Amino acid sequence: MSALLAFKGLSKAFFGVPAVADVTLDVAEGEVLGLIGENGAGKSTLMNMVGGVVAPSGGTMAWRGEPYAPADAAAAAARGIAFIHQELNLFLNLSVAENLFVDGFPKKFGLIDRRAIRERAAELLAALDLDVSPDAPVEDLSPGERQLVEIAKALHRDAELIIFDEPTTSLTPRETARLFEVIGRLKAQGKTIIYISHVLGDVARLCDAVAVLRDGRLVDAGPTAVFDIARMIRAMIGRELSGLFPERTARPSDEVALRVAGLGQPGVLENVSLSLRRGEILGLFGLMGSGRTELARVLFGLDPAATGEVELAGTALAGPPRQRIAAGLAFVTEDRRAEGLMMESPIEENLALVSIARFGRAPAALIDADSLAEEARETAQRVRLKAGNIARQPAKSLSGGNQQKVVIGKWLMNGPRVFILDEPTRGVDVGAKFEIYTLADQLAASGGAVLFISSEIEELMGVCDRILVMSRGEIVGGFDTAPFDQSAILAMAFREAA
Amino acid sequence: MSEALGTDETLPALGPGGMPGAAGARAAGPTGPRRSPASRLARRLGDLFLSDYFVLYLTLAYVLVLIPFLPTLSNPANLSNVLSNMWPLLVVAVGQTFVLTIAGIDLSQGAVIGLASVVGGALLAVGGSGAVLENSPLWGTVLTEQGGPLAGVPWGLALGIAAMLLTGALIGFANGFSVAYLNMPPFMVTLVGLIGIGAFAIWLTQSENIRPLPDSFVELGKGDIVSVYLGPQDEPKIPRRQIYSLVTYPAVIAIAIALAAHILLSRTVFGRYVYAIGANRRAAEISGVPVRRVVIAVFTISAVCAAAGSILYSARLEAGRPTLGDGAFLLDVVGAVVIGGTSLFGGKGKILWTVFGVLFFVVLSNTLNLMNLSSFHIDMVKGAVILAAALLDVLRTRLMRERAA
Amino acid sequence: MRKTIVAAATLAAATALSSPAFAANICFAFQDLETEFWVAGHQAITSTLEEEGHTVIERNANEDANRQLEQVRDCIAQGVDGIIIIPQDGESAVTIVKEAQENDVPIAVFNRPPSDLSRGIVVVADNATIASQAVDFLAEQALAKAGDGQTLQPLILVGDLGDPNAVGRKEGFYAAIAKHGDRFAKPIEVATEWDAATALANLEAAVTANPKIDLVFTSSDFLFPTIRSVFEPRGMWKPAGEEGHVLMGGLDGDATACQLIKDGYVDATGVQDLYFEADQALEAILKAIEEGEYAPNQVIEDPGFALTSANLGEREKDMWGCVLLADGFLNK
Repeated sequence: MSALLAFKGLSKAFFGVPAVADVTLDVAEGEVLGLIGENGAGKSTLMNMVGGVVAPSGGTMAWRGEPYAPADAAAAAARGIAFIHQELNLFLNLSVAENLFVDGFPKKFGLIDRRAIRERAAELLAALDLDVSPDAPVEDLSPGERQLVEIAKALHRDAELIIFDEPTTSLTPRETARLFEVIGRLKAQGKTIIYISHVLGDVARLCDAVAVLRDGRLVDAGPTAVFDIARMIRAMIGRELSGLFPERTARPSDEVALRVAGLGQPGVLENVSLSLRRGEILGLFGLMGSGRTELARVLFGLDPAATGEVELAGTALAGPPRQRIAAGLAFVTEDRRAEGLMMESPIEENLALVSIARFGRAPAALIDADSLAEEARETAQRVRLKAGNIARQPAKSLSGGNQQKVVIGKWLMNGPRVFILDEPTRGVDVGAKFEIYTLADQLAASGGAVLFISSEIEELMGVCDRILVMSRGEIVGGFDTAPFDQSAILAMAFREAA
Repeated sequence: MSEALGTDETLPALGPGGMPGAAGARAAGPTGPRRSPASRLARRLGDLFLSDYFVLYLTLAYVLVLIPFLPTLSNPANLSNVLSNMWPLLVVAVGQTFVLTIAGIDLSQGAVIGLASVVGGALLAVGGSGAVLENSPLWGTVLTEQGGPLAGVPWGLALGIAAMLLTGALIGFANGFSVAYLNMPPFMVTLVGLIGIGAFAIWLTQSENIRPLPDSFVELGKGDIVSVYLGPQDEPKIPRRQIYSLVTYPAVIAIAIALAAHILLSRTVFGRYVYAIGANRRAAEISGVPVRRVVIAVFTISAVCAAAGSILYSARLEAGRPTLGDGAFLLDVVGAVVIGGTSLFGGKGKILWTVFGVLFFVVLSNTLNLMNLSSFHIDMVKGAVILAAALLDVLRTRLMRERAA
Repeated sequence: MRKTIVAAATLAAATALSSPAFAANICFAFQDLETEFWVAGHQAITSTLEEEGHTVIERNANEDANRQLEQVRDCIAQGVDGIIIIPQDGESAVTIVKEAQENDVPIAVFNRPPSDLSRGIVVVADNATIASQAVDFLAEQALAKAGDGQTLQPLILVGDLGDPNAVGRKEGFYAAIAKHGDRFAKPIEVATEWDAATALANLEAAVTANPKIDLVFTSSDFLFPTIRSVFEPRGMWKPAGEEGHVLMGGLDGDATACQLIKDGYVDATGVQDLYFEADQALEAILKAIEEGEYAPNQVIEDPGFALTSANLGEREKDMWGCVLLADGFLNK
């Protein structure tokens, strides 16, 4: 196989700080290359240079052996390079077909030829086994279907190199499986693929070769056959990580911290009962739409429940989040951008948000700024936040992992007794994931209790004392002791399909 | 979008083409190898540009440029005018700042000013003319030839003022309730207030004005506490006494309100809640911020500030006027707050910025008056200057982004 | 045309001053320029002042009394020698006059009287007198045309009675009719509330009920087109001299009225003597400045006059509506 795309000594610096340094790498035609690295390792910058979004400050690129220096994104697209981004670039209000043709509608007598569009769109969708109408508005599609539409768009433009950036972040396991199948088919058609992901298991399964970036440099590369996950992690973080998960330091006590009995809400939850003990990390697994997030929202008082009761350390929980927070409940939501953080506000303000009333001094609730700053600083240290000046730096400037630490930190400052973590490691790199698991362990060890909700089965198996499985709003079963059986958990979650 | 103004060092500073670690070492020598005096000057200017005081500097620069052409500008009588025009607008703008900071808008402020003015006028009037007001539903019920019910009553002034503020508080509460509990968009809620309350105020007096008002009330609008005498001035045909107001009741009232608002917004738990709701309402809700109560409080503050502004405006015009705060007034209020740097999208706002924004607006109107432009041209020039200021704000936001990147 | 009038006015003002003209800074603050009457008043004042060599500083308050107060203060700070205002309303006028006088700047209020006439130079038009002048002419004409002993039927379109102007005009109308005792029947009153649609409906009803009408007086000229649309289909809209002409008069003296008088449809309109008022205000303020009188108080009454088909030739140039008409205002 010859190289479709080759980097030679490619470098890029922003304000003198190198983001990509001296990367030399060949992407062979027809292969699936896994590109991995921690957040900030330079993956995005490298891909932005391929896509013509930023210009290299050193080195060269070659496309099929010829010099390649795209002036802008359109030039890259013209060569046959397509991006499938984490945040999809679709117009939600337009139909599937319109999205496919949005940059060049076929015309007939000067008018848009709707019939031609629909026919060609149906063809493209069929090639991907996507069973939606070309006329369906994109906003009605699931995230997985939207992604396939994006891929169809790339195929429509005869893309030769398709770059996937964290494509599975918002997909259900079933959608993920379908995506992999599609990627396999694309490969069979001779397309070249660069696959960027934090999910190393997927990379190992899917890719022919792996390239690892760290601090802007290519630190390791090679065929997947000789590149196991341990080697990937080693290369990414530059040191030996004994495992993906920290050693648990505490055992659950017998004292019940959170008791849920017969919780129900028509169409959402059905007779959910569980008990969470002090010192315990209880995993809650479920596919998308299984009701796991809905359960968390009901527990926290964001959504109503028709029946059932919730007790925290013996006292019944009722009312809006405020009252439950006062009782000692904390909730790290799955969507930290929309529900967790004030992105434009400084880190300190984010950390202080939950517990701010504590710092108000009578009579006018004037804030004791010194002790607030002191506690915020301590909390930042406790969650091992990597940040500069927390009083000034806005939350949006942090990497995903550090943002999540701020969210956890703001709850920590309020000294909660029960933590609900909903997908706490979504979009977070390996190193930060490890730290979040460590934090969960510490919460449990210091007498708290953690309800750990996730769609990543491996991490639940790695950190939890017990795992409950939800499906269609019900808790369908549980697994009490490690080692857990991954296929048994999955089978339980898929009970309807099985 | 108006971005964070006020973070003059958001990140460990990266000089142009410098590494963060090396910056300290280089700063030791007076002329670092890569940071030329020119680039340091650029950096200084950048800091100035990004500072909280930017709009103040802008205003001062504008005045300095114009003084050679408009000598009257620096004349003490004119300065006294600028200040006296600034105070009532500031009081109203302070209220609007709170609402904009939670990503709302209060269009009803103008109508509140009109209604509060009528309420105050009807209660406090010390006389009245049936010929003017006989069609008003207030005539014979509240107002008579002898004036309003509080005329001559001990503590009548305080009661009348309290009634005006209460009028604002009730309207503000209703606005806040509609936004917080009925989930209505602030724009619509307060637009209805603007139309409905404004019409109600006009109906109450049948578009007539209520006067005379007691001297004690009028004093609040223009009474001096400290004045200065600068000797006779002989330029006009008739020599003037040249006594200028320096410290006036409106000044004291406005500064007190602005100071209290500044502390409330920047130093208290309530203020943090206000910013949090503006920055991310859902995150605030989930974090236990009493969002609904704060929203109601914010709209109430806005309307009470409008009512306080109404006291100053009514007093200086010496009448209860239903049309006070009509028309383009509201644009001045929102314009001044936004020029100051408060974002229409919420989460960013400071009382200090609003003070400078109001100063800028008032100085702008004043200079346009002094330029003796034809009345047709004044609003065109005003629009152009505001556009220029808005462009500068865009540049600022971009510079800030670049520095943060 | 206008130039000649202005020149005439200038001459009058100049001769009124005892000493030679001097250059004064006059601040002219008006409330807005949205009706033709105000445009004419604005022109009358600014051009007269400028032709006389004075500097005019204009301020438009756009119907905002507060802004007008701020503008007058700015004028004071600029060191003007005198102020002329057309106030937003009578109440704010009182405050502004006080403000100016407290700062030792003479001030004259033009055309819209303050609710307290005791301070400042105030030029007021007397609506009742003006109305009765116009109606006097109509009554005489009507009686001359009618046979002896015949009783004539007058009709008045009444304005919004909440407006003191409307009240004064109605009083003037009745005073003029009363002079002729029993020659006139009880006048028919048509309420308009200063609204053309209301006027149309009520006038239709009144004319249907009383088809024989000899004399029509409208409290404002702006209703002439409304009257025409009711009268024309009934054969009552005829120029003077033709069979079926109804004697018709109004008040204000706008450009349309001037045109209608010229065409013979309308016989008289009562007019505020805008140019007289402007001259008087200017003269008084310039005199005060000259004499160092910083708080002149004076009420100047404008008796107005009736522009009629009889005196059209000689008084036309004094009527603001005809001046605008000559300027091509209606064609703009």
